[in-house]
Amino acid sequence: MRAFEYASPTSIADAVKALGGSGSSAALAGGTDLISRMKDDIVRPARVVYVKGIPELSGIRVEGSVVTLGAATRLVDLVQHAALAELAPAVRQAALEVGSPQIRNMATLGGNLCQRPCDWYFRNGFGLLGGRKQGRNLVRELEGEYAPIDVEETAHLVRDGDNRYAAIFMTDGDALYAHSSSLAPPLIALGATATLVGPDGERTVPVAELYRIPQSAGESELTLRPGELLTQVRFTAGPRNATYEVRQKQSHDWPLVLCSVALTMDGDRVSKASVVLGSVAPIPYRAEAAERAITGHVVSTETAEAAGQAAVEGAKPLSMNGYKVTLTRTAVKRALLAAVGQRYWEG
Amino acid sequence: MAEWPQNPRLISTEIPRVDGLGKASGRTKYPSDVHPEGMLFAAMLYSPHAHARIKKIDTSRAERIPGVRAIHLLAQEGATLRYQGDDIAAVAADTEEIARDGVRAIEVEYEVLPHVATESQAMAEGAPRVNPRGNVQKGRAQINGDPDAAIETADAVIEGEYSVPVITHVCLETHGLTVRWDSDRTITAWSSTQNVMGVSQELGGAFNIPPTNVTTLTEVMGGGFGSKFSADSWGIAAAELAKKTGKPVRLFLDRAQEHMAAGNRPSATGKIRLGAAKDGKLVAMIAQTHGTGGVARGAGFPLPYVYAVPHSRREHSDVFLNGGNARAMRAPGHPEGCCLMEAAMDDLAEKLGVDPLEMRLKNLPEGDFKTPIYEAEIRLGAEAIGWSKRKPRGQAEGRGPIRIGYGMGLHTWGGGGAQDKQVSCIINPDGSVELRSATQDIGTGARTILAIIAAEVLGLEVDQIHSNIGNSSFPPGQASGGSTTTPSMAPPALNAATQARDELFRRVGRAINEDPAGMSLAGGKLLINGKEAMSFAEACRKLGMMPISVTAGFSEGLTSSGVGGCQFAEVEVDLETGVVRVKKIVAVQDSGLILDMLTWRSQVYGGVIGGLNYALFEERVMDPTTGLFLNPDMELYKLAGASDIPEIEVIAYHTPEMRARGVIGVGEPPTISTAAAIGNAVSNAIGVRVPRWPMTPMNVLNALAQVS
Repeated sequence: MRAFEYASPTSIADAVKALGGSGSSAALAGGTDLISRMKDDIVRPARVVYVKGIPELSGIRVEGSVVTLGAATRLVDLVQHAALAELAPAVRQAALEVGSPQIRNMATLGGNLCQRPCDWYFRNGFGLLGGRKQGRNLVRELEGEYAPIDVEETAHLVRDGDNRYAAIFMTDGDALYAHSSSLAPPLIALGATATLVGPDGERTVPVAELYRIPQSAGESELTLRPGELLTQVRFTAGPRNATYEVRQKQSHDWPLVLCSVALTMDGDRVSKASVVLGSVAPIPYRAEAAERAITGHVVSTETAEAAGQAAVEGAKPLSMNGYKVTLTRTAVKRALLAAVGQRYWEG
Repeated sequence: MAEWPQNPRLISTEIPRVDGLGKASGRTKYPSDVHPEGMLFAAMLYSPHAHARIKKIDTSRAERIPGVRAIHLLAQEGATLRYQGDDIAAVAADTEEIARDGVRAIEVEYEVLPHVATESQAMAEGAPRVNPRGNVQKGRAQINGDPDAAIETADAVIEGEYSVPVITHVCLETHGLTVRWDSDRTITAWSSTQNVMGVSQELGGAFNIPPTNVTTLTEVMGGGFGSKFSADSWGIAAAELAKKTGKPVRLFLDRAQEHMAAGNRPSATGKIRLGAAKDGKLVAMIAQTHGTGGVARGAGFPLPYVYAVPHSRREHSDVFLNGGNARAMRAPGHPEGCCLMEAAMDDLAEKLGVDPLEMRLKNLPEGDFKTPIYEAEIRLGAEAIGWSKRKPRGQAEGRGPIRIGYGMGLHTWGGGGAQDKQVSCIINPDGSVELRSATQDIGTGARTILAIIAAEVLGLEVDQIHSNIGNSSFPPGQASGGSTTTPSMAPPALNAATQARDELFRRVGRAINEDPAGMSLAGGKLLINGKEAMSFAEACRKLGMMPISVTAGFSEGLTSSGVGGCQFAEVEVDLETGVVRVKKIVAVQDSGLILDMLTWRSQVYGGVIGGLNYALFEERVMDPTTGLFLNPDMELYKLAGASDIPEIEVIAYHTPEMRARGVIGVGEPPTISTAAAIGNAVSNAIGVRVPRWPMTPMNVLNALAQVS
């Protein structure tokens, strides 16, 4: 790890000032993602700004049906909050399955939303677009470590390489990593907004708009502007909601596919559906076809299955990850059934 | 010569390991925890390329960093780097952080060379050569009988292609040592090794000093699994840095280089035709196999395995590629051979409509002493797992998308000891007792085992014996490999303790004018003609100023070799996700006379957990384009956590006949058949063979998709 300046502000204003100073900066909360990226030399912030010491950044507030979550709220606190479990089981379930108990004791909501992709090409220094090329030379973004290697001009590390965990949707472009925030899908499904405070003041955007598909080398998938800090997330509870994560291990592991749903009901029928997938596209992926398929129906094994099938229409898996199409179908079905308290098997 | 006691007080009971509390509480110092006065930290620069030549290397910028004390080059200009992680240089500095800054400041100009990082790249026509003699090196075919004619006579033949990936040892304590020059011709090395004597020999050889001038200390160590026999290039580099700076130097690999350069278990792929008669009796096997040990040879494995195959032909090729070289890994070759053989056995049983358990019983080698042992073990295991609940493949029960499956596998191993090792037993006038030997505890409980033996002989409690191992200056002890430590060290320990006891009787007898023939030791007392005469400590005081010190070696009749064992798995597989949950493993194991039931069971648990990781999670992933190791971590290189561990039922096959065989090692056998049993259980659950390990959602769903 390289040397860096360290700031430990106690107010949002001071944090924004520190983040916005000259040179690169990064906000540090639990550190479970940032520190390992710094150790691996994937990021080299000149200044690290510790934000967990800012009191108003942490905490869960429920006022009527409006839920406000401080960005520095730890995942373990999301898991253990009784009212949140009642109103937003989709959020609780997603938080519960992140990492290990040790990680959930350190990691925060904001950190999970702003973590960088868990993609082995990115984590090996090849960026988010399958490797930057200068002519026929592939460049590794680790300073002083890598001589360019000769590759075909059409070479794409993810498309040509081991893409078992990569995206299956939106795969026409160069960004083929799978977006790996577990908390983005449930919050997007619930229509949450995020508050960002930066040098130019405060703005509120839908959580979905925190993300974009990077188009050029070095561009981030996060839309946060330089010096901006995510301070809180807010949503209005009401819809029935659930998250289903397919993961290989029971202990510390990343989701293979995650699906969150939020259903507004009209009696037994779904009048409005929101179905959001994680780990299947370079951004949290809204499965509109699944939303259309379930809307107007009673959620049953059959209708959930049909929605799962609708969700994967248009999927364009890569050479190795066709199996994630099956996982997606399953995750959508199970999340829908979970939202209405149904399981189609016991035990 | 001594014999194992007929009615032991301690041996074969459950004795907690003597260093357990220190380890569990964190008090025990591992070699990587040892920080001698003035110590420098060293870090390695290793190849960022799969294949490259060093054109130029400039350390001047690194040398100028304040706190950087010395740099040692392991590769010179012009040298070829053969895989990502190959050694280049080591930097010693005041802190670990400065050492890493120093590593980053070394400027290397590389000429990048074409690579082959996957087996298919290596085996392709016209592929760049890793080995001048070619990337695919075919061994001599092993032929038994007339397989081509015989297989034509079989009632059923299956043809399958099965594969297991390269995995790495993932020692929790990475490879390395802390080394100090005590004079210009003497060294002390605190090494994380399974071979203290070997490390001394290598360091002595590297610096042209007698190995006896190098004291290697390994009080405890954090796992080796076959990868820590050597001082290694980085160990010698640390000693060079220590010599240059005149200060102790600590050099332990980082996790990434540990994965890349510190050894691995080779992959194995087999195209197997296996034929049997209607009744399940095997007729012939024809197999083409290959595997890769990276830039090194060593991907061989036994096949056919365990079962009697009257006619067989097996052709094997070693595939060379730009990956770290293989090293011995817990039961080298056997897990690979077991997975391939047992998968083919199950597929053939399925085709014949024979219960796979019956099929196995039918094909045990006739007349082999192990056959009745296997038969008994299979009965015990089948009972414990509930084999009668097993349904034929494709008819598995379950609920919703969950299917329950059962599978099994058999394994074999040697586990005999060496006959040239020694243990000293010292009885001091103050009543303290010490054992000494230049062996070490790789985790099996070697220290405890030796103490149990001495305590048994001397009528003392285990904690009254100071079991002193992990020091190369002691009498020659066994390197911990091949499940040989206990069978090599137990006989000399028994002989040394027995001879020391007899010497005690003689000298006490002389002092108090009693006949030694009437003396015995029990309950911490000296007995004369069965009557309590004095405490053990009092008896020792009769020694005056002169301790007893006896060094003894091997004798016949205390050990044996050759074990069997079987494992059974119960799994649940989700047909819609391909996720496999192992519910239960039953491990039945024989290994002659068991000295400590607790440490023995711990070996079996550890073996099963290693096998479960092999079955479900572990896989080295290489990138074809860059040739890099994509998951050199403990995150995307997946390993079971506590919640992934199922119920494990360990059954010791420890009959009077087994006890009479004497001591046999158990470190390796229980890790062999776990992955085979789990693979067969998955196939039983889902109705199709998953031909590729590990049993990931990808591999399971791909196998299901093949049939639908």
